Amino acid sequence: MTTKHSAHKLALSLTAAIMAAGGAQAYEVPLTSISSNMPPVDFHGFVSQGLLASSQYNYLTPNTKDVSTEFFEAGLNASMNPFPHTRITAQAFTYDIGDVGKYDLVLDYASVEYTFNDAFGVRAGRIRRPEGIYNDIQDVDLARTSILLPQGVYDARWRDFYVAIDGADLFGTISLAKAGSLSYDVYGGYINPSMDGGVAQLLRNQLPSFIALNSLDSDPEFGGQLWWNTPINGLRLGVAGGGVLPFNFTTTIQTPGGPIHPDNRSDVIFQHYSAEYLWKAWTFQAEYLTYSLYPYAAGQSATHIDSWYGSAAYRFNKWFELGGYYTEYYGDMDHRDNSLTFQKDLALSLRFDPKPWWVFKVEGHYIRGTGLLDDNADNPPAQQNSDGWFMLAVKTTFSF
Amino acid sequence: MKSFSLKLGLLCLVLGASSFRALALDGAVVIANSSVAADSLSADALKDIYTAKTKYWDGGQAIIIAVLPDKTDAALQQASGMEASAFKTFWQRLAFSGRGSEPKKADDATALVALVASTKGAIAIVPADAVLTGVKKIEIK
Repeated sequence: MTTKHSAHKLALSLTAAIMAAGGAQAYEVPLTSISSNMPPVDFHGFVSQGLLASSQYNYLTPNTKDVSTEFFEAGLNASMNPFPHTRITAQAFTYDIGDVGKYDLVLDYASVEYTFNDAFGVRAGRIRRPEGIYNDIQDVDLARTSILLPQGVYDARWRDFYVAIDGADLFGTISLAKAGSLSYDVYGGYINPSMDGGVAQLLRNQLPSFIALNSLDSDPEFGGQLWWNTPINGLRLGVAGGGVLPFNFTTTIQTPGGPIHPDNRSDVIFQHYSAEYLWKAWTFQAEYLTYSLYPYAAGQSATHIDSWYGSAAYRFNKWFELGGYYTEYYGDMDHRDNSLTFQKDLALSLRFDPKPWWVFKVEGHYIRGTGLLDDNADNPPAQQNSDGWFMLAVKTTFSF
Repeated sequence: MKSFSLKLGLLCLVLGASSFRALALDGAVVIANSSVAADSLSADALKDIYTAKTKYWDGGQAIIIAVLPDKTDAALQQASGMEASAFKTFWQRLAFSGRGSEPKKADDATALVALVASTKGAIAIVPADAVLTGVKKIEIK
């Protein structure tokens, strides 16, 4: 706990430093002291601090009912173009949301990118994984209207599982002349889920008390994202698909005959469909995500999950934007009427941009169902019901 | 059937018109650093630059976009197809996902021209009455 508080103090100090810098500008550092031929390095960063308060459940944090400030993100990145067609970039990141993240400092991405032409490029290293509108930027608060993205599609606690892979990505944009263009990404690599991450939390929550979670494997993931940038200005349609083959974690069951390590492997297959339309000061978005888990162990049946949302946002002027979305999540597509496994959320967001480098947001949620709580210790299942409940989110972000 | 053919014809006409559009920027011109070889760009090529589909000049030099917030928003929208706030968000998404660098910002036209003049590969939209010193004007066809 002391470590966590120290990390929080460090994070707040970083916030103060950025505020003091008052930086609407990115920082550019010339490397002429190293070599007169070295190109400059661009630095960008952000710090976000939020607050969550719920009328009924401890959602996302163990203390949401009592108002929680365990809702923090910060990132600092650097990039440069050292050679023709070549770009190097890296970002350090830390976050905390409830019991997840815990201010662990992680290398978020670090990659080398070579662009042969508009139609074909390759990047390799630790890369953010493109999926849908928001996967590779789901923790960048300043790049959207809402505070919380629709959680069935972009769970704020799962970033260690979703966001990045160690591998490579082939990308490009192919002109279709009068029909617009196609932007594609095809990637493969390894995920690095953390024992402090949301998947680990979910597994601990689901496993019986006599089964201990030991580790999460670094598993191979393959997939792709295709966007059709239609001839209608501002309209793009996307489809993504892929899988973790297999997802694996190790557990131990203590028995009188000694410890047992069951086979926990599952293939995870997902499909993700997206539409986004920017029209004048409006932004309209809709997405549908479905994924299935296919266990290797005999006798275990597959699990099918899906979620969708529709959203609209309107920018009134430079400093104010209003948005809202409705989303549904079904943790068991075969039982859509079970409030313990579904969650439906109507959200209204107010975004203020007092300065180019400062964003302040307030957001209200009316939620039915408890399918995404994933925290039975702080929300005993016997006390969960299908009644509607409210949640308030407040967040501020400083960036440069 | 006749009605369907008519609609299809109209759709092709609209799509065709959109891909061969000429671009006149409201009260603004496009400039670039003198290291940039190009003297002219098509409207579509300019849009590809401002929407990150094209990130390098011929020869591989990185394209650095520079902007003048608030003062050339209308022209920026014509070039990119996005309102100023959407344009900013678009580039923030790229910057923080490791896929691009945010445009550099200047406080006034003089500073923007100076920024473009001193930054290899830079391109910018500046007010038409700006004094263009040390930069080249790019014709948009």
